[in-house]
Amino acid sequence: MTTTDTTKTTLRAEGFSCPSCVSKIEKQVGKLDAVQAVKVHFASSRIEIEHDPERVSVDELVAAVAKAGYTARPTTF
Amino acid sequence: MRKKDVLKMTKVKVWMRGPWAVPAVSGAMILASFATAQAVDSSLWGDILMITASVVAGGPVVVKAWRALTSRVIGIDLLVSVAALGAIILGNYWEAAAVTFLFAVGHALESATLNKTRSALAELVAVAPEVAIVLRDGQQIEVPAGSVANGETVLVKNGSKVPVDGVVSDGTGALDEASITGESIPVEKTTGDAVFAGTISTGGFLQVTATGVGADTTLARIIHRVEEAQDAKAKTQAFMDRFSAWYTPAIIVLAVVLGLTTRDIVLALTLLVIGCPGALVISIPVSIVAGIGRGAKDGILIKGGEFLETSAKIDAVFVDKTGTLTEGRPRLTDVVSLDPTMDRDEVLRIAARAEAGSEHPLARPIMDAAAAAGVDVRGLPEHTQPMPGKGIVATLDGRRVAVGNMALMASEGIGGDRYNAARAAIDELADAGRTPMAVASDGLIVGIVAVADKVRSDAPEMVRRLHAAGVKKVVMLTGDIERVARAVGDQVGVDEVRAGLLPEDKLAAVADLQYQGYTVAMVGDGVNDAPALATANIGVAMGAAGTGVAIETADIALMQDDLLKLPQAIGLARRTVNNMRQNITIALLTVVALLAGVLFGGVTMAIGMLVHEVSVLVVIANAMRLLRHRRDRNSAGQSRPANVINASGSFSTTVRAPS
Repeated sequence: MTTTDTTKTTLRAEGFSCPSCVSKIEKQVGKLDAVQAVKVHFASSRIEIEHDPERVSVDELVAAVAKAGYTARPTTF
Repeated sequence: MRKKDVLKMTKVKVWMRGPWAVPAVSGAMILASFATAQAVDSSLWGDILMITASVVAGGPVVVKAWRALTSRVIGIDLLVSVAALGAIILGNYWEAAAVTFLFAVGHALESATLNKTRSALAELVAVAPEVAIVLRDGQQIEVPAGSVANGETVLVKNGSKVPVDGVVSDGTGALDEASITGESIPVEKTTGDAVFAGTISTGGFLQVTATGVGADTTLARIIHRVEEAQDAKAKTQAFMDRFSAWYTPAIIVLAVVLGLTTRDIVLALTLLVIGCPGALVISIPVSIVAGIGRGAKDGILIKGGEFLETSAKIDAVFVDKTGTLTEGRPRLTDVVSLDPTMDRDEVLRIAARAEAGSEHPLARPIMDAAAAAGVDVRGLPEHTQPMPGKGIVATLDGRRVAVGNMALMASEGIGGDRYNAARAAIDELADAGRTPMAVASDGLIVGIVAVADKVRSDAPEMVRRLHAAGVKKVVMLTGDIERVARAVGDQVGVDEVRAGLLPEDKLAAVADLQYQGYTVAMVGDGVNDAPALATANIGVAMGAAGTGVAIETADIALMQDDLLKLPQAIGLARRTVNNMRQNITIALLTVVALLAGVLFGGVTMAIGMLVHEVSVLVVIANAMRLLRHRRDRNSAGQSRPANVINASGSFSTTVRAPS
């Protein structure tokens, strides 16, 4: 388990209007099993996620963010 | 919203999912409720309409509050939900409807405007290229921009985006580089020129060899930099964060305590409404996001909030003479012979041969001039020893040749009449702003060569604008001798000249002014003045577009090699920091006014929510002023002629007889 490959995925979100969404999204995405770390940047509305792409896909990450009530899409950098 | 979804929906459905549907429906119901109250005697229908309005506007809030609670977050949504539910239970239907309606309107406005403050970044992301046309096996293939390999040839046609960073291998064309440099006048590109991903072809056809793809492009670095900068917290923000972290819980506790002791539930609920930290938490981030975004649009990258705050305090600017105030392409201007047995060509020949093994910036013009004059400079020196800050000593055909300043001549033990004659000639040339070097062979000075660099045409204007932006001291640093430096300094209008500096002296000069209490910005190329750049409060890199390292490390990176961007950057920092202060003041005053209003009476739930939402919008609107385009250039002094130290470029014809 400790040797699983993790990649860093950056999502850009829309409509961050108050900083309280930061902890909401972090907790919602952090609940996912194969997510090692998640960091939400309020000012630039980015979500940085370290995860095992084998076990949790980018689409699932986007879905988790949607569950917290926000629209996000993956970005190449 | 995804394109597919939009296509499936009718216009009405799109609107229903938009941010304005909820406030519009609930607002209409509130109006209807007022109308029925006028028309019908019984208040029943009016009340029902008010409750429905509250449910329409408050429902989504309750859902959000619940979601937040499940991830153990007590947010603003919960406060509003509790207040609205409480108001309904108490029978204050109008209050419940008003609070939820205002909250919904405020939210719709907030997300629309807040996204505007992020627009600069969004525009940068939008210019990121998506596809590239690659030449593979002679075929043009369209591939995703990120999948081009380094070294592959991509084609850039008229009107298309450059997909990668690279070097033009064939063809000519013009590129709009505004996304990188902020300058929208197209730049001509031809074989050998560097091009950047995200720039747009306005004509011509280019073949580009890819050197950087995807995340390894200048554009990606800029985007990354801007995002990191916008997220980096300003020092002031730490205070605000701490304040708002305590504010909301404190208000909740206060509401509970007051509710229990005074039995005044309405008062307690009203407190909950104003317990939303709104303007407090966003006051600083919106200013910073807008300020940094504004800079990025103009080709000015500032590292983050803390650096904005420091930049706003800059009152001393250090600039390097060579390459910053001058064009950095020195040319040979004078050759003087002091030896009756030698003509000027012979002096030039000795100097050029001695400098052949030197990498000093002044070596090149001497060698170039010798080549141009057709002087035979064959034969490398047997031995070359650079003397830092003085010149160079070389062994040529067994003779010891020294080329450098008078300090070098002195350390070589050279003196006598020739020395005095050389001294006089050197002083005269230096007073004219040229950099003279004595040439000595086997302990005897044989002549003088002098080199000069053109002052950049916008250098005086930059200094004037720096002063106008509130900079007290503009200091020119140079390794050149005092007289030369003064001549250049006078033309440019700097306040202070520090000449004859060795690289380590630059650091000391910066530290010295910091000791005197100045906030120092240092402009440099980052190579030989790296220590001074690091010591300065703000290190500025100019013309950073081509160097990834500069974009990532400089406190302020000016993408273009444009001197006038420096005062512009300092002006922007000042405006942003002022903006931030105004926002903090607005936010704190609102909190104080609301608290006082609730505790001493007068502020109802609805008024509380109204003031709260208005304060948030005022703060956002204030920050958006930073994004407005504003020309810092004033018309006067724009078209000043270039200040040229020596425009002739030809050798002076003085040949001095030895005394």
